[in-house]
Order: sequence, then structure tokens, then C-alpha cells
Amino acid sequence: MSFTQVARSCGRFAAALSTARLASAVALQSQSRMMHRIAVPAISTMLTQNKFTLRHYSARNTIEEIEHRVLKVVSAYDKDSCRGRWQTQSVRSYSAKPPLSLKLINERVLLVLKLYDKVDPSKLNVDSHFINDLGLDSLDHVEVIMAMEDEFGFEIPDSDAEKLLKPADIIKYVADKEDVYE
Amino acid sequence: MSTRRQAITLYRNLLRESEKLPAYNFRMYAARKIRDTFRANRVINDFKEIDRLVASGKESLELIRRQVIIGHLYTTDKLVIEQKKTLRPSDD
Repeated sequence: MSFTQVARSCGRFAAALSTARLASAVALQSQSRMMHRIAVPAISTMLTQNKFTLRHYSARNTIEEIEHRVLKVVSAYDKDSCRGRWQTQSVRSYSAKPPLSLKLINERVLLVLKLYDKVDPSKLNVDSHFINDLGLDSLDHVEVIMAMEDEFGFEIPDSDAEKLLKPADIIKYVADKEDVYE
Repeated sequence: MSTRRQAITLYRNLLRESEKLPAYNFRMYAARKIRDTFRANRVINDFKEIDRLVASGKESLELIRRQVIIGHLYTTDKLVIEQKKTLRPSDD
């Protein structure tokens, strides 16, 4: 909430009060416009405390105390000082993918394979052949390739897919596609 | 195109298309049915039989494509089991 918003809501409250507001408003014209709008409701109630018991707490306060309190509230809602506490830092998301490295590709490929239910994670390593070592058939291989497409977000054509028979091949293929060299 | 390649492409296209079905039950049924049917028929050696099955697979692919479009025209709410729990900032 900014200074202006605080001031505005105070002013709105002041408008709801009776004609006494006008008198006090005139008396306070020497002050700055903002301060006058904030201070008005409290002072007006003080002036007319016989009629209004609505905000009796302010009747006991002097103008200095009110001023002090208002300034305290205003500084608490001050834009600059409250930035850390009240606003979350907005993150700009340009639609770029997170940066990849060979190590990261390696980890992601192996993770996808570990999560595939027909692959035995204990037998899995980068150079194990899908069909000969891991015991998958060609249909499973298709599903593995589809899982890789989902993981890395691009399509692998059939002609390339049938050459990717080891996790190492997939890692190399993905690195080539994404222009990752280190 | 070799028969093997044809079958694998068909398998892939069927799975990819069935993922798009909006209704959970249809989607799961299609995925299960495609996997099971291909696995059950992998031992078939007769080329005529293979051609017939590939043709029926292509028909099914068209059917799934139609159903995806129709399903998106008349969507329903997601099932409870489909809803992912998302963390709101207040949950932390």
C-alpha cells in the first residue's frame, strides 16, 4: 500500500464524517495536502467529541501524538522500505530453456530410464544396450524414445530414433540437437 | 517402408495421438489397448495378416483423431485423480 493509498482511504473516512470536518479542514490548510487529509478524521472527532463517540480513542491524543502515529503508519507502508517484506521479487520468464550441460543431459537421460518400469536400474549404465543388455523390445524402445522427447521437448524422427540404442547415443544426440559441447 | 518400420511408426503415432484424448478413461484405455494389442500381435509372421492389422490400426488412428477433436468440443471437468496438487504460496 502506497502513501497515496493510505492517504486516500483516510480521506474517504473523513468524508463520511459530519460537517465538523469542514471547519477543521480550513484550520489545517497551512499543512501539506497529504498531511491534512490524514490528520482530518482524528482531529475532527476530537473537536466534536461531545457528539461523536465513534472514535473516542483519538480524543485522548494530542495533535503531536496523532501526527507521530500517522507518520509511523505511513513509514511502515512506505514503498521503498517495505519492498523486502511486502513485495515478492518478480522473476521475468523469457521462454528460454534452462541451460544444459553434458552432465545434466546425462543425469536426465538416466533418470528417465530409471523411472521407466521395464528397465532394471541396477543393470543400467550409460553404455548398456537397450535391447541386448536391458532386455527391452522394439516397442519398449519406442516408448523410451517418446519419454526422451517429452523430457527434452523436441521430436525425434523415426529414422534417428532407431539409431539411438544406448543411453550414450541419446545423450550425444540431445547434445548435438541443443548445441551443447561441454 | 518395411513392415517393421511401418508397425513401429503406427505404434508411435497411436500412442502420441491417444495421449491427447481429453477424457481420462478413454485416454488410459487407449494407451493400454494399444500396448497390449501390439505386444500380443508381435509374433505374427504372415504378411497378409500383418497388412490387415496395420490397416485396422490406421483406422483406429483416424478414430482416435476424430475422438480427440470431439472430446475437446464437449469437455467435462477433470476427474479427482487427475488433479495435481499445486502448492499455493500460503502453503509453503
